[in-house]
This record gives sequence, C-alpha cells and structure tokens, in this order.
Amino acid sequence: MPSVLPILFVLVIAVGLMACAALFTPKGPQQVLIRTSLMLALAACYLMWMVTYLAQLHPLIGTPPSTA
Amino acid sequence: MSDDYPSLLRSEQMSLVQLFVPTEVAHDAVAELGELGNVQFKDLNPNVNPFQRSFVGEIRRVDEMGRRVRFFSTQIEQEKDVVPIRPLYDSAPLIVVGPRAPQAMDELDVTLAAHEQRLTQMNESYQKLSERTKELIEARHVLRETAVFFDKAHHQTDIRTSFDDSSAPLLQHDDRENQYSVGTGVQFDLEFVAGTIERVRVPTFERVLWRVLRGNLYMNHTDILEPFVDPVTGAETRKNVFIIFAHGDALLAKIRKVAESMGATLYPIDANADKRSESLREVEGRLEDLQNVLYNTGSSRRTELTKIGESLRSWQDVVRKEKLIYETLNLFNFDVRRKTLIAEGWVPTRDITTIQLALRHATSRAPACLPFYMSFTIMDSYGVASYQEVNPGLFAVITFPFLFAVMFGDIGHGFIIFVAALYMILAERKLARVDLGEIMGQFFYGRYIILLMGLFSMYTGLMYNDIFSKSLHIWHSAWDFPSNTTDTKIVGIDNGHRYSFGLDPGWHGADNNLVFVNSYKMKMSVVLGVIHMTFALCLQFPNHLKFKRPIDIYANFIPQMIFLQSIFGYLVICILYKWSVDWSKATTQPPSLLNMLISMFLSPGKVDPSEQLYAGQPFVQVVLLLLAAICVPWLLVTKPYLAWKDMHKIKEQGYVSISGEGDGNGIHRNSSDEVLEGEEEGNGRAIAEDGDDGEHEQHDFGEVVIHQVIHTIEFCLGCISHTASYLRLWALSLAHAQLSEVLWSMTLEAWLEPTGVFEWIVLIVMGVFWFVLTVFILCLMEGLSAFLHALRLHWVEANSKHFEGGGYAFTPLTFANPDSKE
Repeated sequence: MPSVLPILFVLVIAVGLMACAALFTPKGPQQVLIRTSLMLALAACYLMWMVTYLAQLHPLIGTPPSTA
Repeated sequence: MSDDYPSLLRSEQMSLVQLFVPTEVAHDAVAELGELGNVQFKDLNPNVNPFQRSFVGEIRRVDEMGRRVRFFSTQIEQEKDVVPIRPLYDSAPLIVVGPRAPQAMDELDVTLAAHEQRLTQMNESYQKLSERTKELIEARHVLRETAVFFDKAHHQTDIRTSFDDSSAPLLQHDDRENQYSVGTGVQFDLEFVAGTIERVRVPTFERVLWRVLRGNLYMNHTDILEPFVDPVTGAETRKNVFIIFAHGDALLAKIRKVAESMGATLYPIDANADKRSESLREVEGRLEDLQNVLYNTGSSRRTELTKIGESLRSWQDVVRKEKLIYETLNLFNFDVRRKTLIAEGWVPTRDITTIQLALRHATSRAPACLPFYMSFTIMDSYGVASYQEVNPGLFAVITFPFLFAVMFGDIGHGFIIFVAALYMILAERKLARVDLGEIMGQFFYGRYIILLMGLFSMYTGLMYNDIFSKSLHIWHSAWDFPSNTTDTKIVGIDNGHRYSFGLDPGWHGADNNLVFVNSYKMKMSVVLGVIHMTFALCLQFPNHLKFKRPIDIYANFIPQMIFLQSIFGYLVICILYKWSVDWSKATTQPPSLLNMLISMFLSPGKVDPSEQLYAGQPFVQVVLLLLAAICVPWLLVTKPYLAWKDMHKIKEQGYVSISGEGDGNGIHRNSSDEVLEGEEEGNGRAIAEDGDDGEHEQHDFGEVVIHQVIHTIEFCLGCISHTASYLRLWALSLAHAQLSEVLWSMTLEAWLEPTGVFEWIVLIVMGVFWFVLTVFILCLMEGLSAFLHALRLHWVEANSKHFEGGGYAFTPLTFANPDSKE
C-alpha cells in the first residue's frame, strides 16, 4: 500500500547523514568547503528523490498504456 | 570553529599596517616581504611624478641591466643550434641582500656591460666578413661564367685567323680592326664590361642599354644557380652574371654608368685566359681564408653565448626582483626627521606574525643594530564594498553541478562526462605543462567541476531512469502489464508497489509517458527553483549581521522573504500536498494548481468547493494574499522613511556641532581635512557648508528613494519571472531525453538483430555512428547548453537576491613569477 512513510524515513536518514558531515569533517584548510559540499549534496539528492517518489505515489493519470 | 584557516565562505580579514623602515635595511626588508608574497603596498606618493621619485636612479640602472639581459636572450634565441640555458633552480644564486649587496650589483653591472660589448663586436665583425664573402663568391661566379663566354667565342673563329692564339690581348687589334668591325658586332675587337645584377632587373637592364647605345652592344648573361642569402636578414636574392661587349670608351663609360644606376656590381675581368685563371685561384684562396675566419668568429661567439647562458636565468631573476623592489620603495614615504621610510600596506590578519618574523630576519643581516618597529592600525571594511561579504561560490560548488544534472539527466552520458573528467584529473601533471589551446584549456581548468557534473548527472539519470534513452528495471515496478493479445492497447494495472528510486520503468515507451513526465518535471522545477531562491535570499541574512545593518534585516530581508513564501512557498506546499493525497479515495476532484493560483489573485476568497485542495482554503489564501500585499509597501517605504528621519535629526543637530564641540552622530558629515580646517577658520564658512551638507543630504535621500523603488519592483516582478525561469530545468531535460531517444531509434534500433554478414557490418557502422553522435551532440553540445543555463540560473535568479560584488582582488608584492616556464 503506497504511503508517505518512506519519505519521512529517508528524510531522517538524510538529516542524520548531514549531521555526521557537520560534526565529523576533519579539520583542515578545506573543512568549510568539504562540510558545506557534503551537506548540500545530501540535501539536494534527498530533495530530488523525495519529489520523484512523491510524484508517483498516487498517480493521477490512471495507468500507462503500452503499444509494445 | 574554523578560524584558523581562511574559508571559502567569506574573504579574509585584512589589516592595514604601517611599517617604519630605516633606510639602510629598506631594500632587504622589501626583498624579504616580496619573497613572502602577501603584502599589498599602498602608494603614499600619489602626487609625485614618476621621474621625481627617490629611487629613479636605481631603477634606471636596473632597466639598463634588464635591456642587456634581454639582448642576450634574443641573441641566444637567434642561434640556429640551441644554446643551453641553465634553469633557475640549477643556477648559483646571486646574493643581492645583506651587507655585500651593493658590491654584488656593481659587479653584475660591469659583467653585463663587458659581455654586451664583446657580443656586439663579434656580431659586427661577423657581418662585415659575411659581406666580404658574398662579394668574393660573386666574383668567382663572374670569373667562371665569363670563361664560358670566351670559350664559346673562341670556337667561332673562322674568319679571323689571328685569334688562334688565345693569349693575344684583344686590345691590340682595336684600332686596326676598327674600320672593319664597326657595325658588324663581332665580339673580339671590342672591350667588355662584366658583372652581376639581380635577375629581376635583367630585362630592364637590356632595354635601357639598347636604347642608350642604339644597339651598339652585345650582351650575354646567365643565371647563377644558387641564391645569395643575406646573413643579417636571411633574404634570398638571385643574380645573373652578364658580360657586355661594346666598342669605344664613350660607350663603355655609358655602360658602366647605366650598370651602376641599376644596382649591378662590376668586376674587373681580364681578357687573357691565364690571367683569368690566376684571378680565379686568388679569389678562391681568399674565400677559403674568409670562411675559416667566419667559422672561428662563429664558434667564439657560441662559446660566449654558452657562458652567458650559464648565468642568464639568475641575471633575469635578479633584475626582475630588483626592479620590483625599487618600484615598491618608490611607493614609500621618506621621513626626513627620523631618516626612515614609512610604508603602508594591506596584510591578511592571519599573516601578521609571519611578516614580523620575516622582517626581523631581514634586518638581522644589517651590520649595525638599528632599531626597527611596526605600528598597527587595524581597520576593517575600509570602504571596499564587498569585503567580507558572503561568497556564493562556496555553495555553487554543489548547486551548479546539481542544477546542470537536472537538465542533463542520463546515466550513460553522465558516465561519459565523469570518465572524461577523471582522465583529466589523473593526467593532471602531464596536461598542465602542455599548452592545450584555449578551448581544451578551459575544459581542463574546470575538470573538478566537470567531475561533479558527471557524478550528479549519473544520479539524476537514475532518478529519471534514463540510460542512453533506455530505462533500467532494478526494483519492483508499480505497473503490471497483462499479456493480453486481444486488444491493441494494453493498459497497465497498479499493483501497489512503488518504484524505490526514480521514475518507474513502466512509463518507458508508454503513450502517455510524456503527459506524466512533463507534469512531474515541471512541478519539480518549480519546487527546486523556489527552494534555490529562498536559499539565496537567506544568504542576505549573514551579510546584514556581519556588517551590522539591522535596518536591512527588517526593511529588506523580512518583507522579501514573506512575499516570496506567501505566494510561491505556498505553491510549493500545494504541489507537495496534492501529490501526497490519494485522489481515487478523496471526496473532491484533484484541482488544477495553475488555475488555483490564478484564481487566488483574480478572485480572492472564492474557491469552488468541488475543486478545493483542502478545507479552509479560501481563508488561508486571503490571508496569504494580504500578507504579500502588505510586503510591497513595507519594502518600498521603510528604508527611505528611516533615511528621511535620520536626515532631519542631523539637520537639527547640525547647527550644534558647528560651534566646535564635535559631532556625536555625524554619520553623514564628511570629516575630511578641508572641512575641519574650514570650521577652525571661521563660522561664516561653516554655515555655507551646512547648506551644502543639507543639499548633499537631499541628494542622498533622493538616491535612496530611487534605489528602493527599483529594488522593490525588481524583486516583486522578479519573483514571478524567476520562478517561471526555473522551468528551463524541465525544458532542457525534456529536450535531452527526446534527442537521446531519436538518436537511438534512428541509428541502432532497426539493426539490433543482425542475421547476415551485411547486417553485422551495418550494425557496427551504425554503432560507431551512434557513439560519435552521442559524444558530440548529446554530451558536448547539450552539456554546454545545460552548463550555460545552470550558470544563468545562478547568476541571475540566485545572485540577484543577495550579492553585492563590489570588491577588488588582493594583489600583493610577490616574486613568484607566473610566466616562468621552469
């Protein structure tokens, strides 16, 4: 049964990974860069996955016909 | 947290430092700072003519040395065989700092002058000798060719028997034969003129001679086969040998004059064969000697150049550094009383201790222990507009490849780009040295960003489920297709699963594929766009905090945020909500979001119950609309009003400060030297100044109002147009997918089941064709297109929300030479 739960589940995972990136990036001249990049990348990827999943959750167009 | 290192988030904190340098150690101190390369010196003598500055003499001397060094390097370059130049890291260093420095410089000057003199001398003598050689070669040719003429002539003696004796001089018979030979044109009675002339001039020469002498001449000429090469310019000239027989002194004189005017070279040739062969031998002997001398000169020049080549790089380095040092010293202010030079410069705050150490090191080499000290004046935000502003580049490292990938979205193409970038990175060191040309150089320069673009493209390809226009079927699809052969149209049935990552492969090849995918991609574009713009807007906030502008937060940031969110944030929430509702089980019809948004503006408060998205919608929409409506005047009026209030406050208090008590809140008063002097001199002047100030304030206020009006209109209209602009994310990804599909269906699709040999060959050819077009059209062309659009989204839509960008780059005095090839 399609539900919204996976979205929240993966959100928790993504936020957790972002927190890890925030806390555990090694100190160094590039720390800010690496940290920002990792967090942004995680956030962007989650966003795109979430939108894709959500769009297919309850599809409005009935069913895809195929001519194959 | 990370204060130890400079970060990409903001520019570095800079300090303005003043250095007091005793004159004796000034040169060494600047040398040391130049090696460090992180101080930018200010020009403290801006009004002084470059020719009147203190160190002009030294600069002239260094310039002279530089000219000599350049002369040497051009001479070395011109040598046909390569003269080895010892590279800088291998050369013995020239010490130009410390107590022996002036001596070393003088020695260098003398050495350079001596080398130059020797070289020029050798060059001159080489040139002279080459010219001489050329003349001798011509003479040899003339001798040879005239020998041929005379030989030919001898074989034609059938009339004059007295000429069997070949050694009889011609001139003896001149008078006697005169009465017979006039007009007959026989050659042996006649005297002759011989020489060489350029080949192109020969016809003209003949014509002129014919006219001048009325035909009383006989001319013969042959080509000299080898061209003469001018040693200096390397130009080739082709010459001919000519010999002209004529009778009579007057004619001969005329011939000589004409020949000289046409640029021919005349050579004295003897009619006697023996004498001719003797001259030939002499010429050849002299030629050999000259060749020897030339060869020796050449080789001694080479040794000289080789010797120069040993130290050339270190001389160039020293000259360059000295010039920079003296130019920098010219920027300093000379304090006569204390006999020190005062310098001012910008330094990253982090590096101040390194500079102190460096200076201590420099002065420790001074023979006398002179006192040395530094004073600090730390001024942040010295007036450079975006000093310490938040740098959007930090975030663009990820958002740019991501938005590129949303428009590119194909696992296969992303993989190709990824591999290309990986190759460039792994072959970095080798490729960095080669000159790749402008276009490839640009690709190489951006190899890390291209790597990220490739990676993200593979991810979005997974999301769009597109690999070279095919789709992957990894997880459980949501649609079952019954193998029903009775209907021509098969309809898929929802089986309760949902595809875990990305677009369901059931959509691939479906008739209404595009209907669904377009809706999905358009809504995703709007969602991503609004989130990107919100993020960019939020970057204003740390800027306002850093620069302590709380007014901007309330007058700019908050109304902008509320306006954006109440309309487009609301739209995004509606999109997400609509997706999360199971409309097959809901009581109302799924509403069209576009119509919903439009009617929110056109008929606020009225929502058709059969088309509402959620309960209580009309009320919520009215509230949001009112919020947005309030934000516009809020944005428009607040800042100008506050500025107007400030202006009035200053005006009232402006009269108080003229009596000389000093300003407490003279934010808008210019405290320049002239104004303060004016105040000291008399009150009369001060009132006029205040009037000026008042006008100045009016002027400022007008500008603030205009600026704010423009800002408001730009922002509000921009919200709508920029949101729509993000739809290009959908448009380009659609174009990419369609192109990819067309390419597949037009090349490989028909040939995928080869039966005969012919079909195999066609398959291979088509395969190559498909791959080439994939790389060039889909990866390169579409890639550049998506690159451009992603960049535009960043520069226009995102940066206009927060970026000021008025700073300038830090250009420190540094000895590191970026042009050096070593």
